[in-house]
Formats: sequence, structure tokens, C-alpha cells
Amino acid sequence: MDSSSEHQEFDYLFKLLMIGDSGVGKSSLLLSFTSDAFEDLSPTIGVDFKVKYVTMGGKKLKLAIWDTAGQERFRTLTNSYYRGAQGIIMVYDVTRRDTFTNLSEIWAKEIDLYSTNQDCIKMLVGNKVDKEGDRVVTKKEGIDFAREYGCLFIECSAKTRVNVQQCFEELVLKILDTPSLIAEGSKGVKKNIFKERPPQSDASTSSCC
Amino acid sequence: MEEEQQTFVSKARTAFHSAAAKAERVLLDFKSDREDHDKQSSPNTFTGQQPEAESPHTDENDSKLHSESKHIKWRPPHLGIKQDWQDKIKNIRRGRKEVEDTDKVGDASMAIPFYDDNLYLLNVKNDLEAKASEAMPSVEGLTAATKDPIPPSSVLKQLAIAVEAGSKAKSMKDVIASPGGSSPARERAGLSLSAVKALVLREKEDKLTSEFTSNEKVVQLINSLFDPEGDFLRRKIDSNLEETAMTSLPRDIHGAPPESLVVKLAEILGNYKTLRKMALFWCRVVAELRKLWFEEQYLPGVPQDEIPDLKSCLLYQQFQVINCCISRKRFRIIATESLDSMMMQANSDIKESTDCSAEASASPVLYARLNSGELVLRLGADHPAGDMTLLETGEPVYSPITQEGPLLTEDLIRETEEFVLRTGSVGAGCSQLLSDMQAFKAANPGCILEDFVRWHSPPDWTDNEASTEDSDVFDSGEPLSARGQLSRRMQKEGNLWRELWETSKPVPAVKQAPLFDEDLAVEGILNAFEEMHPSDLFGQLFVSLLGLGFGIAEPMLSGNSDFSKLFYDCKEYIITACQNNKLNEKVDGLVQVYETVEKMLLNPEEALKMIKQTEESTTVTGEPRSPFKRLSLIFGGKDKLLRKSVSKDQTNDEEKSGRQSFSSFFDSKSSLFGKKPPKSGSPSPSEKSSIDTGWPVV
Repeated sequence: MDSSSEHQEFDYLFKLLMIGDSGVGKSSLLLSFTSDAFEDLSPTIGVDFKVKYVTMGGKKLKLAIWDTAGQERFRTLTNSYYRGAQGIIMVYDVTRRDTFTNLSEIWAKEIDLYSTNQDCIKMLVGNKVDKEGDRVVTKKEGIDFAREYGCLFIECSAKTRVNVQQCFEELVLKILDTPSLIAEGSKGVKKNIFKERPPQSDASTSSCC
Repeated sequence: MEEEQQTFVSKARTAFHSAAAKAERVLLDFKSDREDHDKQSSPNTFTGQQPEAESPHTDENDSKLHSESKHIKWRPPHLGIKQDWQDKIKNIRRGRKEVEDTDKVGDASMAIPFYDDNLYLLNVKNDLEAKASEAMPSVEGLTAATKDPIPPSSVLKQLAIAVEAGSKAKSMKDVIASPGGSSPARERAGLSLSAVKALVLREKEDKLTSEFTSNEKVVQLINSLFDPEGDFLRRKIDSNLEETAMTSLPRDIHGAPPESLVVKLAEILGNYKTLRKMALFWCRVVAELRKLWFEEQYLPGVPQDEIPDLKSCLLYQQFQVINCCISRKRFRIIATESLDSMMMQANSDIKESTDCSAEASASPVLYARLNSGELVLRLGADHPAGDMTLLETGEPVYSPITQEGPLLTEDLIRETEEFVLRTGSVGAGCSQLLSDMQAFKAANPGCILEDFVRWHSPPDWTDNEASTEDSDVFDSGEPLSARGQLSRRMQKEGNLWRELWETSKPVPAVKQAPLFDEDLAVEGILNAFEEMHPSDLFGQLFVSLLGLGFGIAEPMLSGNSDFSKLFYDCKEYIITACQNNKLNEKVDGLVQVYETVEKMLLNPEEALKMIKQTEESTTVTGEPRSPFKRLSLIFGGKDKLLRKSVSKDQTNDEEKSGRQSFSSFFDSKSSLFGKKPPKSGSPSPSEKSSIDTGWPVV
């Protein structure tokens, strides 16, 4: 586990957004990445986030990862978080075909509507591969969708943590390969320093009203 | 001569039929301005013309609806009396509905603009006079300018000057107060707009400012700009144009849609000759926006019920929010009245049902029967939710009317995100969920959490007939387990959903505390308009007008074999330049690119010569590496004659003091070309403020 503390210095600040149907495991995936833990989490209410510091390619990165509720009623809240995201992770559940179908029916359209970043990197993630016996969406189908839509693809399991680290690393490496996103990441750092706000520590707990 | 002018003025007012009434309203709104008019005896002339303006319109109009709506518009407002204001607002609402009815019928006579040859000749004459004497822009002058295929490059150039000059000013108030001297300007910087207005009006600029605000041309421009039925500043746009091409460019450069309020505003402001007058006109526009909001009237040239388009400029997003808030207010009024009348009917039904309980069901009033047999009124029910029925009572499930989400412009999104990151608060989701639960309970008496989950979060409910899972959960009750169960994650201990559910009370959405306060949101926007930095305002207007010109030019030039290549190079240049955040450094280059497009349209032969010269020089040196280098060759060739004078100007500027160099922007013609076109990849001076800088929202 990477050491993290408040006021940690970093070279780039990247905003990542996780979207997908309710119950596909977005929050568990994020928790698995940031805390190496797995929990059967209550459904996300609106939006949640976690901060993670990583070092890649000799650069220290601060990742602000936004976790959105997949229910339709929450979309009026989650729509605004697409703005400026350098990376978007589209998650589906390999044991529920409707979550895969809704990628093109719903989530790709949401990205077209609300993403303001033409160069943002998109990654398709098929979760819950630990339930191989219940699988209804094949890996080939995922690969074909990713190729057609023009995004990265990986299958993983938040429960067994298979491919969880690789999922985020692959996405971030692709962002680091994109000059315009690098420029935005630097701008985020400058703004942060200028406003003299201490960066949040990772695994921030959410508190509600 | 005077008679001719009066005839012209009279016809102009007839052409813009509501100008006189609106002008009178404007005069009444500014009492101090009216006092000046009293001194100058202008009111007599004005009031004398009022009947003349009214009667021709009345004669021309046949339909009663039209007459009534016009009458409502013409009615002078009575200031100071609350009851009169309330009556006025009600009339405006009725007028709005009547106008909408007329629009549905498709009354073509309303859309036909008033036009004749005499007016055209007067326009031409007036336009020439305006150019000669540098008079202020007028409705006639701008209307004549729409004969040009695209807005003149001089308009865009003026906005470019304003962007650069504005970036050196502290605020819009500084621009307005600057003739008073630097020391008074500093004192005024911290004052509110109204206080600045008061100070300005009392000092030496008093006469000039009040003259500007009440100037007939300014009043007419404001009325034409905000006339929802007028076709002011409308140009011919190729109807064969692909929709995607027309809509994509303004969004690629973060501008505004063609023929929107932002673009028209840009064209008007670009016709003023001084930065100060541009600022004064903007303040006048903000005052008009406040009035429209107060009267709950839509802004023309902006969609009425769309969430902010984050790919358009912030100004356009803010206009969208204003109109969307008006729609929401209107809807809430209708929904509240509907609910109240339903409850009144339910009360009267109860009296009747005492006599005859068998006939208790009335069609407009919805009831749900509890297990005890009691009938409970459904509040805020919208429509049946498919085939769903309540688990315990078997009654149909109704989707409730719910509160709508927040209307966030890009600056507020950034602020919200930073707030959440800093505090860890994710309360917005909980507030909305609680609101939905309360609305659901009000619409579905006898419901339980499982019913709500089935409606709000279907994946968290599993029907038993489809379930093959082993049940690890204890039976919570035979009816429940017989039909299905919540997901494992929803059944967890300490699940916030259940806690919120037990907290929630049955309250329909229109009776709940609002999640998004329209009044607060629009007040914040209007305050932001008053506090807007000049470079922010003029930068957005510059980009929007640029997008309009290119959007109109594209279908004309894309099919031209001589010019299509150069045109698309120019288009690519502006997209790249506008997506960069440092607009201040690029406005000169963008103006030159625009002039190239203008030349291709208006002087194709000269443009063709320029292209050939460029091609010859290109042949000698080899193919250019990129389109930008090619463009720099074009502009380099064009500016050959100006380079020597440019260097001289730069030397002179260095010798002069700050004030003198500032004034030279407007006095010297050569200063228009004072800057070389920016090179792509050149280091950026850190002094200049970025157009993308957010401004505080009160």
C-alpha cells in the first residue's frame, strides 16, 4: 500500500470518473483500489469520491476519483461531474447482460452529452469475473465493444482484486501519454497551490446530512 | 429636413412596434433620467408621439388576441404601488399565454417585418452618416449591416481591442469611471454598481452618462435586442447546411449558438467606438435582464427549458439558467394550484361521501386504499409506474412528481467539486434521496421501503419467481418473502437508505423545501454580470461572433475549389486558438484570420491573388510544415508594409507613460495593428490574465 499523508506534494492532479449501472460494483472497485479492501457496500447516494496518490513514470500523481450512483434519479446530480474529467471508467457486471447493453444505450450517450474534454481517456471494465459460473457477457464481447467505441478494456474482480491495480494504472498511463491532458493536470496543480488548499488525504470517509 | 427625420423616426418606431411603450417604461424606471427629460422638455414630444405609435398598430391588427396582447404590452407600469405591480405581473402572464396561443396558430402577419424602399434608402444614408461622424450604433445601422454575408471584421476588431484593453482594467466599474481620473476610480472600485451609478451621475460625467442611457438609439437597441418576436440582426444562413457542422463549431470554440442572444449582443457591442460606452451598454443590458427576471419573462434567443450547455461560453450558460428558472417557477405555480384544487375537491368529496360512501371515488382525485380499508388521498402523483403494485396493499404504484436537480454552470460545477473535495461532504445526494422518498410516500400511501427501492433502484430488488439465489436472510414476513427481497447490500446493517426512509415524511415535491433555489441562483448570476471583468465579457462575445461568421461562411466557401482549402486551414486555426485558454494573446491573430475569410467572400479576386502569391513563395521555400505556418506566411506578406510602422509604434509606446499608451489604443489607427500575430508555441507572458479565470459568485 502506498504511503499517503496530507499536504503531500505531487506533479499532476487528474480527475477520474466512474460510471455504470447501479450494482455493477463501482464503489467496491474503487475501495479495492484505494484501500486493498473489499466490502459489500450500500448503494452510493449521489456522488462519492476518494483520493489516491500514486507514482508512475517517475511522476507523483494525485488522483481524484469520483464514484457516481448509477440510478436514473441521481443523474441530475452526477451529470455535472463529467466536466473536465481526464479519465472515465465505464463499469459493467459480466453476470448481468443489461448492464452491458446499457453501456451503449445510456452511458456512452451520457459521455457524449456531458463530457467537456475531447481527449479524455475512456476505459471499459467488466467486473465480477470471480463469478465465472454466472458469466453471461463474454470477454470477446467486451473487446469488440471497446474496439468499436475506441476505449481501453479490462476485466477484473473487486472481490478478489484481480486486475484492479492494472485497471487504474493502464488508464493513468494512457492519460500521461496525452499532452493536452498532461497540461490540464499541471494546471490543476498550479491552481491548487495558488489557492493554498491542503490536498485531501486518500480514503476520505464520506459523511452525510 | 426635420419633417423627413420625424417621418423616418415614426416609421422606425412603427417597424419596431413595441419600441415606444418599452421606451416609456424605461424612462419611468429611471426617475433621474426622467427629471433630465423634464428639464429638456423631451417628455412632451415623447408623450405626444405615443398615440401616433399606438393607433397605426391597432388599425393593422385584426385578431382580438393580438390586440389584447399588444394592449397589455402598451399599458404603462405604475411604480410604487404594490397592488398595481401584482396586477401587472398577472396581466403579463396572461399576455404571455395569449401570445403563445397566437404563435401556435401560426399568425404569419406577426413575423412579417416592416420594410419599404424609403426606409432602405434612409438606412443607407444613415449608415453613411454614422460612418462619417462616428455616431453611436443604431437599430437602422445594424439592420443595414446584416446585408453583409457575415458580420464586418471591424466589429470583431473592436471587440478584440476591448478584450485587450479590458484585461488591463480592474473591473467594469473602472472602465465606466475612468474619465474621472485614476484616484477616484480606485475609491469607486469597491462600491456597488448602483453606488457607482449614483456617483457617476452626480459628477461631471453625469450629463454624458445619462444621455447615453436615455439616448434614443440605445433604447431602441435594447428593445430590439430583447424583442422576442423581432428578427433583429437575423442573417441568411444556408438552409442546406448540415446540422452537425453548424452546431459543432460554436461549441468547439466555446462560443454561443448563431442568432442567440449572446451573438446579437456581441454584434451590438462591437459597433461602439469606446470601451466606456461598451461597458455602459452592458450595464443597461444587465438592468433589462433584471427587469425580465422580475416580470418572469423569458430571454429571447435562449432556449426556455434546457440545462446549461457546458460546451458553450459561460455567458450563454448563465442565460440558459435564467430561462430555465423561469420555466421552473411557472411549473411550480401550476403544480401547486393543481394540488390545492385537488385537495379542495377531496374535501368536498368527503362531505358527499359521508352520505354515500359507495361512490367515494372521483376521477380527478386519486386515492389509495390501505389494508384497513381506509381511503387516503394521493398527493403529487404523476403517472402509474408501469405495472407495479404496492407490496402490502396491492394498490398501483404511482411515480411522484419530483424536484429537479441543480442548474449548474461550469464555474459553479468547479466550485461544487472543490467544496466536496475539501470538506468530504456528499450531502446533495442524500438531500435528493430524502426528497424523493417523501414525494413517493405522499403519492403512495401504505408503501414500504421495498416499494421505494423497486421504483428508485430496480437492480436492488429481486422478484422471487426469477430468483435462483439461496436465501441467507431471515424471513421478515411471509408476504414480503413470497414476492421477493432486497439486495444483500441494501439489507446491510446501518444502511443509510433505511435510515432516511424512516426519517422521511409524506410531503409532495411542490410542498417541500426547494433543493435548488431559483431566486438565489439567478440573483447570483445577475450579480456576477455586474461584477464581470471586462476581458471575460468581451472575450466571450468575441469568440461567439467569430463562430457566427465562420458558421455562415462555411457553406459558401466549402464548395469553392479556390478557397475551401484556405478556409478550412483558417477554421482549424481558430478552433485550436480558442481551445487554448490564453485568448488575450490571440485576438489579433484571430481578427486577421477573420479578415481573410471576409475577403474571400467580399473580394474573391483579391483573395485569389493573395493565395497565388503565397503559393509562389511556398514553392520557393518548400511546403510549409503546418497550416499555421502557411497562415503566418499569408499574414506576414500582408503585414509587410506595416512592419516598419509597427516597430516605430512599439518604440513610441515604450517611451510613453501607461496612460498615453492606453489612450493610443483608441486614438491611433495604426495601433490596431500594433501587435504581431502570435506565434504558435511562443512563451506566454505571465502578466496577462487568462480568459478562463473564474470570477467570484456572490
